[in-house]
Parts: sequence; C-alpha cells; structure tokens
Amino acid sequence: MSGGAGYLGAMASISAEDVPALYEGAKFYSPAVGDAGRSSVTSWLAGLLERNGPVPLMRVESVAPDTQCIAVCVLGSGSAMADLPPAGDEFVLAVRQIERLQKVTFGAVYPLAAATISALVPVVTAAQLGVPLIDADGMGRTFALIHHTAMHLAGVSPTPLAAVGPTGESVLVEVLSGPRADRMLRANVDTVGGWAALAAYPINAGTLRRAALPGTMSRITNVGRVLLETTDPEALVTRLGAITGCRRIARGRIAELEHLSRQNDVTIPAHPSSLVVEETGGLGRQLRIELRSEIVAVFADGALIAGAPDLMCLLDVSRGALATLDSLEPGDLVDVLVTPADAVWYSPEGMEMVGLSSHGIPLEHPRRR
Amino acid sequence: MRSRPSTLPITLGELARVRPLAGAELHLADPARTVEQVVLAETFDRLRHCLPHELVVLHDEAATGGWSLAAALHLAWERNLSAVVVSRTVAGASSAALAERLAMSLIVIDDDPIEVALQLAGQVSAPAAARAQRQARIAEQLAEQTGIRGVLGVLNRELQGVPVALVVGEVVVAGQAAALAERPQVRQIEVEVHAAGERSAARMVAAVPVPGPAAIDQVASLLRLARPSLQAAWARSRLDAAARAAHEQAAFELLRRLETDEAPSWAAELGWQVGLHNRAIWLAPERPEGEPSDEVTYLIRASWQRGHSIWPLIAEGDGWISWHSAADPDDVTALRRVLTGFRDSAVAHRLVLGVGRAHEGVGGLMRSAAEARLAAHVAREAGAGSVQWFDQVGAAAALAWLPTTEIAQVADLTLAELMAAKDRAPLVQTVLAVLDAGGSLSQASQQLGVHRNTVLARLARARQLGLTYDEPGQRLALHVLCYALTTLWNRSAQPDRSRSGSEPSRP
Repeated sequence: MSGGAGYLGAMASISAEDVPALYEGAKFYSPAVGDAGRSSVTSWLAGLLERNGPVPLMRVESVAPDTQCIAVCVLGSGSAMADLPPAGDEFVLAVRQIERLQKVTFGAVYPLAAATISALVPVVTAAQLGVPLIDADGMGRTFALIHHTAMHLAGVSPTPLAAVGPTGESVLVEVLSGPRADRMLRANVDTVGGWAALAAYPINAGTLRRAALPGTMSRITNVGRVLLETTDPEALVTRLGAITGCRRIARGRIAELEHLSRQNDVTIPAHPSSLVVEETGGLGRQLRIELRSEIVAVFADGALIAGAPDLMCLLDVSRGALATLDSLEPGDLVDVLVTPADAVWYSPEGMEMVGLSSHGIPLEHPRRR
Repeated sequence: MRSRPSTLPITLGELARVRPLAGAELHLADPARTVEQVVLAETFDRLRHCLPHELVVLHDEAATGGWSLAAALHLAWERNLSAVVVSRTVAGASSAALAERLAMSLIVIDDDPIEVALQLAGQVSAPAAARAQRQARIAEQLAEQTGIRGVLGVLNRELQGVPVALVVGEVVVAGQAAALAERPQVRQIEVEVHAAGERSAARMVAAVPVPGPAAIDQVASLLRLARPSLQAAWARSRLDAAARAAHEQAAFELLRRLETDEAPSWAAELGWQVGLHNRAIWLAPERPEGEPSDEVTYLIRASWQRGHSIWPLIAEGDGWISWHSAADPDDVTALRRVLTGFRDSAVAHRLVLGVGRAHEGVGGLMRSAAEARLAAHVAREAGAGSVQWFDQVGAAAALAWLPTTEIAQVADLTLAELMAAKDRAPLVQTVLAVLDAGGSLSQASQQLGVHRNTVLARLARARQLGLTYDEPGQRLALHVLCYALTTLWNRSAQPDRSRSGSEPSRP
C-alpha cells in the first residue's frame, strides 16, 4: 500500500508500515480488549510483511466469483494468547486442514471479524499462504460467538471448520447448525491451550460478495491512522465520525465501578458489571454503562440511549486515546462514543442474535423506537 | 381514639414510619406523596403498565441491579409513580443519586420483596390500621421520655415537616420556635397542658402545613397522646426546680452570713464556684412589683441557664442574682456572650441587668452583688433589656436612687412661676448644664450646642423665674431639682426606650 498519512480510502495492499495503524483501528472496534500480547503479534506480522512483501488487499467484487475463500480468526482469550504465543504455523495449518477435507485450494483469505487481534491474523495467514486478503469481514466489529456473522444471516454455514491450538493439536467440526459449532468449539478451546487459530466459513467469492460486510479492513486502517495522528479529543471525535459515523453522546467523569454477581443470560459468556459516569457538561446526567465483555448499553438518567449492536467505546480525554475496559478508574474523564454497527445487525434477525435481548436487557433499542 | 378514622390515602411519610419500611433505607423525594396502590413488578412490561401514584416493589427480572434499577427509576419517573422499593443487593449509591436527580422516592429494603409488597398492600388498602399502628409506636416512644425536651423531640422527629413547640405565655420553652410563626398555608393546632390543680400551665403548638404530609386530626391526636407524658415531665421538673430554688436560696443566705472569706465545701456540692474572682449579675424587673412568683423564677432560670447550667440563679428580693467566678478578674468574654444570648429573654420578660465588679472570695461576691444591684437600678433608666456595668456607673449611681417624681412635685410647689413658663424645659436644661460644668458658660454652651449669649440670656430669664442657681445656699437643692426634672422630662419624651437596649449614658 502507498505511504503517507491521513485518510486513504480503500487500500490496495497492506505493508509493514501499516501494522501499527491496523492494530489501533482493530482496537477501536473492540475496545474491551487490553494490550496484552500486542508487541509479539504486531512485530511478528511486521517481520512477515517485510520478508514476504506487502499483502494485496482486494475488494471482494474484484476477485473471480469461483475463487475459494476462507475466514480466519483467533478463538479464545487474548490473555491466553499472550501467555502462550503462537508458534507461527497454527493459522496455515487450520486452513490446510479444510483444504484437505474439501479437496480445494483457497485463493484468498478474509477476516471473520475485522477487529482485535483477529484483524491481524488474516494478514499473517495471507502472507504465509501467499494469497490476497479480501477487504471484507463477517462482523464489522466483534461479537461474542462465531455464528454472529453476516454470512450466517445470509445462510452460509460456518462449517466445516478447523481449530488449531498453540500445542499443535486441532479440532475439526462439522455440524449442520451454526450455533452448535460454537458450543462444540468452546468446549475444546481450553484443552488446546486457551486459544486456537480458527479457519471457517469456506465459501467462494461469489457468495462472499453478497454475504460479507465490504471495506472493513480499509476502514480499521484509516481509523488507526486517525488515532495515531492526534491526541486532541475534539479532533479525534470529528475525524472518527467522518470515517465511522460515530458520535459523542456524553462527556463525564467515572463515579463508580460496580461489579455484580447477578444472574446472567447463559448464551453469552461474560461477567456483567456496571459503570456510573457523571456527565460534566450539558444536562449533568447520570450515565450508567453496562459492561459484559464489551459495552452493551448506555443509560442516561435511566433512559436507554444506546445499546448493542451499536459499538460503544470510551475515549480517555486526558490521554486522547481509547480507554480499554480493564484500565478504567473512578475519576477518569471520558467521552462516550457510539458508532452504528453495519445495517444488517439492526434487522430483526440480527437484533435477535446480537441485540440487547441477547444480553438480558428486555428493552426496545433506541434506534428502533 | 377517633370516632371516624381518616380514609385519606396513606402517604409515603406515614408508610415509612411503620413496619416493614420502618427500618428501610429511605430516599424520599416527597414524604407527602400519597400511595394509592402497591404493585409487585416482576418484569419491565409490568412496570410499563403502572399507573400514577402507585408504589412499585421491584422483584426478579425487574430487580437485577445495575442498569435495571436505573431503567426502572426512569420508567417510574415517566409513569409518575409514588416510589420504588428495591432490595439492598441491587441498590448502590449511584442509584440513590439517580433517584434524587429524578425526584423519585427510592426505598431500599433488606427483607424479601414479595413479603414487603404484601404487607404494604395491606397498609395501603387500610390506611387507618397503618395509622393506628404508627400511633401505638409513637405512644410507646413518648412513654419512655422523662423530660420535656425528650417529649418534644419525639414529636418533632415523628411529625416531620410539622414543627411543635411548648409555649408558656408567649415564650417557647422547648421544641421548635417555628411552630409559632404565622405563615400562609399553615394551620396552627394548640393543645393545653395542665399543671396540677387543672390550671393551664402551657400550650403545645404545632404548625401543620396544609396541604401537607400529616392530616390535621392526626397531628392533634398525636399531641393529645403526648400530653400525659408532658404533664408528668412538667410536674416533675417543677418539683425539682422548686426544691432546688429553695435550697439555693437558703445556701446563699448562709453564704452571706459567713464569717470567713473561704468558700465552704457545701458550695461546691451545689455546683457553685466562689473561690476565685466573682463577678455578680443582678437581674431585676424593669418595674419592681414585689417578690416574683415561682413560675416567673422558673422561666427566668430556664432561659438564663440555657447552655450554661452551672451558673446559679437565686431569687433575692425583687430580682435574681447570679455570678461568674474566674481566675482572671478582667476576663469577661464568657459573661458578655451570656449577656448577648440573654438579651431577647430579658426584653421578653422586661428585665434589666446590672453587672458588678470582680472581687475575690465570698466577701467579694457579696460586695459585687451589691454593686450589681446598684447598677441594675441605673439600668432601669434605659428600659427593658439594658445592661449596666458598675465600672461605668461609679458614684453617679447615687442619682439613680433619687425619687425624681417626688422631687418634681416639690418643683411644682416651690418654683410655680418657672413651671408655668412654656420654655421651662430649655431653661432647666441650661441651668443644669452650667451647674454640671461648674459654672463655666463656654463649656455649657458647647455641651448644649448653642451660643454663649443664648446661655447667658436663658440664665437671666431662669433667675427672673426664681431659679436662683448662683445663690450658694440654694445651689445643691436647685442642682438636684434640675436633674430630677430633666430626667423626668427625658423619660416622658421617650416613652418606649426598652427597644433601644443600649447602655445608659451617665445620668
């Protein structure tokens, strides 16, 4: 990809210089994740791209419709990955297993979710396999389960899928229904080392064209550039808004962190907790931010003003950087940013899968009222 | 208790005072809010169908904490509910803050929400029963009180927003003085408190806001409930006070007859300090009317000893004596503070105060008492509430004893011509000024603020009218006459000087 700073629109390739921006942008779309394991993965990817040259980034329309494509991502916890770093061949091995099973050769790789570390590993895989990366993904952010994808909503099965752990062991799953695949995989992730390289959703580019969310890899790189470019919160919010459609719904000071051991919906594994922010300007509202593994809802004076599948994140005003959920302290001044998710998630099927009710909040989404 | 119990809807404030909410953590935005029905809400959907003035008890799905309580409070605010009741496990400090922000009452309970809801439903459907329960509880609390302040404390605590005071005459003896303030939308209720022998000794006054959290008849019945405790406490404290007054009076008499200057040991038993430098204060009625009654002594003692109960107060002649003993004879800060605090009471009871000088020992106390009494006589010149320090009086105190009225009558007879003259006042004033100045015309003209020639002219006219001040044989008599007349005229020219409260100038 060409050099230079600032917004670049859709990109043609990803090179070693793009890695920091890619990482920062990937973090914006999954603000819950901490920085553990950052350096190992980014330096690994940067080294690969320097050795093998840039990875071509192709729009899904520009790939031949019969090209076989495979999605990759990291399954399991980021901290486990920091403890037990990848040997390096896990993702390639996972792809090769599906190739052997289906007797095909994959001509392109795409991210299952263009966010977190899972936005980086498809670049790694493409560089290792020597194939192009497709500028599209299945979530447009992160959701908790592997069938929470646009492909699943379009009727594409996630299986057959292969998961390879850092120990070299692998699990191959073939099921008829997507939700079953996730349950079977989760049972195995701990055993294979706490995290696993996942290869799933093997489809041809023609199907991918109608099933995936386009342009998301370019988008996170551009978001990352903005985040690296400035630490002025006002400029950040304005520029991020131009790229992602996000807006600031409040600025406030964290008043209270509540850790609750209350009943939780069993479909999504996460510990619910709650964050109270006192708005500093405007109406001086009391914001209550509901946390699972991410921010799932924002209440202002008890009224729901944003909720999943909206992407909500906190901007640390004093640092001009995104605040990860594990770094929050009472007294921090934060901007609450809300980014709309891709339109497919606001459909009735999408809402049922990743909306507020999936987090045990039986309220009408503010965008649908 | 009443022939027809009130069927008014029960208020939050009333509910909060009986079980099961009596022990709950209350964040009441408006205790006067009525509660018309109780709803046990299990889901948000149920919450969305609540009607105004309902009290909602959250339970199960609607009470999972965090967001759910915030959302429930918001819904309650939208639906204009009376209050939200929730289990303590889900309510944090921020929930209380949000409730306050939305002006929504939040009640945090420790018990099972379902049981609480059932009990509340019973209370709301039969408000009279809940009120009776509350009265029974208050009656128990009142019965435990042995003092007047304790009884008034219970009433003021239980009747939030309704100040209650115990009043003797127009003076608040205990409770909140706000009960006497006349304000719009406030109705005053009075209940007589009888002393022994069916004599009305005092009144309980409650100012009930209308409309307010407590109905008039409930307040009245509570006051009646408090009456027996109050009468008992009143009678006891009067017995105590009467015994103590007699004791102190006798002890002071003994002290007066004491030969030595050393403080006897029994003085300390009464809480008296006499060993150091004693400074006496004489409290006297502005117009002496013989020995004061026990009731007045009781009231004066109550207000004099408010906040500094170790200072004695002994009825003595037509007034009362008190004193302050300190190591440093010049230290009068404590005394000044007390005098300032007593000023309102002094005006209300039409008292004047005299302060003696500080002298050492028992003998010193008696001397200071005599000085204070003298100073109090001088203070009468300036009206009720005034304070006179003996240090500032000196020998001039003698003039305060002059029977000015009688002397003025002498003037009417002996100086008829002068008294008939229209300009008699400036003439007498001028002669007095010249005599005061030892015959110096220039000093007199300066003091009067007139020209020396005017002084000369007035003197000449005064002499013509019989005021022969320059005859040595008559000078003293005329000087006294002029002084008496001027004092009398000044007093009648300023009939109400009690409000000025200032210390009198040299007479």
